Amino acid sequence: MPYDDLRSFLDTLEKEGQLLRITDEVLPEPDLAAAANAAGRIGDGAPALWFDRVKGFTDARIVMNVHGSWRNHALALGLPKETSTREQVEEFARRWDAFPIAPERREDAPWRENTVTGDDIDLFGVLPLFRLNDGDGGFYLDKAAVVSRDPDDPDHFGKQNLGTYRMEVIGRDRLALQPVPVHDIAQHLRTAEEQGRDLPVAITLGNDPVVPLVAGMPLRYDQSEYEMAGALRGAPMPIATAPHTGLDVPWGAEVVIEGVVESRVRQIEGPFGEFTGHYSGGRRMPVIRIERISYRTDPIFESLYLGMPWTECDYLVGPNTCVPLLKQLRAEFPEVRAVNAMYTHGLLVIISTAKRYGGFAKAVGMRAMTTPHGLGYVTQVIVVDEDVDPFDLPQVMWAQSAKVNPKEDVVIIPNLSVVELAPASQPAGVTSKMIIDATTPVAPDVRGNFGTPAKDLPETAEWTARLRSLLAQR
Amino acid sequence: MHSSDSGRPEAADASPVCPRCADTGVSTVAHSPVPGVWQVLQCARCLYMWRTTEPARRTRREDYPLQFRLTEHDIATATEVPAVPALRAR
Repeated sequence: MPYDDLRSFLDTLEKEGQLLRITDEVLPEPDLAAAANAAGRIGDGAPALWFDRVKGFTDARIVMNVHGSWRNHALALGLPKETSTREQVEEFARRWDAFPIAPERREDAPWRENTVTGDDIDLFGVLPLFRLNDGDGGFYLDKAAVVSRDPDDPDHFGKQNLGTYRMEVIGRDRLALQPVPVHDIAQHLRTAEEQGRDLPVAITLGNDPVVPLVAGMPLRYDQSEYEMAGALRGAPMPIATAPHTGLDVPWGAEVVIEGVVESRVRQIEGPFGEFTGHYSGGRRMPVIRIERISYRTDPIFESLYLGMPWTECDYLVGPNTCVPLLKQLRAEFPEVRAVNAMYTHGLLVIISTAKRYGGFAKAVGMRAMTTPHGLGYVTQVIVVDEDVDPFDLPQVMWAQSAKVNPKEDVVIIPNLSVVELAPASQPAGVTSKMIIDATTPVAPDVRGNFGTPAKDLPETAEWTARLRSLLAQR
Repeated sequence: MHSSDSGRPEAADASPVCPRCADTGVSTVAHSPVPGVWQVLQCARCLYMWRTTEPARRTRREDYPLQFRLTEHDIATATEVPAVPALRAR
């Protein structure tokens, strides 16, 4: 059964031992962020963290790291928590093919229970806001979904966008918004600003666990995130009408903030520690004026820590980045078994493939660099054999250490394109790229001494599943 | 004689300066729901926002990291992202 709201998912996390309640009183800063930061440092299986004793607050309910481990990511998709990373990505890709699944409209949303408008609007009265990193310019909403419509085509459901964009609280009723120019909301804002009009937006916090997955997904401009959520859930996504803007928002949200992006206004924003492991900011960004807040009684504030990887956001964007590359490569090379593109949005990619003939693996690596995502990201490719799991990094390192003859198997190509934010590019936006062919040479490539490999026993796969299942039942 | 913090004003005092840009136009935007525990302050010029109970590296001008400090010039010359587009002809 898919989850319709955050609360039902938290119940499951708790039953599965994947939600840790911090019962001691903590400081809002630096404890909340430091604890969530630490969740990414304690290894696989980190739980969500729940805080309700935060110094100075009377009724704060804060949850962090909800998607911050492969176990929690599996549970968000309704899979057993022991599902391997590779299987989760494969299942993600399979469900993606069911797109689109139309949403289901339900107007009895629980966030209709409480409303504030006009002069009563005060974000601090509804949300226990706090800072994440030392250099952040303020308190951020960093796991909210922002909904907006195309002002030139407002009735087109698919062009309505739901996306995660960082927002800095710059007043009781004001937020600074970062619409990255390539993202859909920037296109909506541009159209509105060309017309001299404000852009209505609805911001939903504390969503069901599939919303943050689709809100960070690189869909086409006219593809609906709600219809993708339906595909990933395996059931229609429940939506409701936001009362002030008429925008379609998740039924299960904890809080719905409505307002407008003020036309042609920019104010200083940031910095903010970002997913690249570096700060960005100190730029003038658009501003949202809040006009209405609706919220469930005793709302839960969900936030995520991000900074030096790995953090929760790497789990949120990891499969999203793997799946398009996997699909694009398999379309031409069905030999491709799996793609791990989870490192800094796919700046480094590991591909597992069977070989047609000698030299084939290098061709797969070159093709990865020329996919739409590859043009801007794929800077390093490690290609491994079909029996190496690209998500099992010790196994990948074994393949690289045992199979690579550097002079022939490392290929470096100069002066290729990459996103400007890639910290190592020089000048920004230009980089060399590298393929490491860690596959076993096949004819007519007869290099090396690979004639007698020791393979996993035929029965090992069955035993792997059996051991995992037994461990999970303990 | 060793140095001491005892003579320094608390960040919550009546006339704090912005730790980031040193402007004195600081206002209170929120009080702790439990009275008297903390306040959230904000600089009118650079919009920096902080809670008075945060570590000194975030709340005191003298401890604020150099790489995150802003000047009036930095704010005035900050890039617009995204740039405001031209108005469409009516």
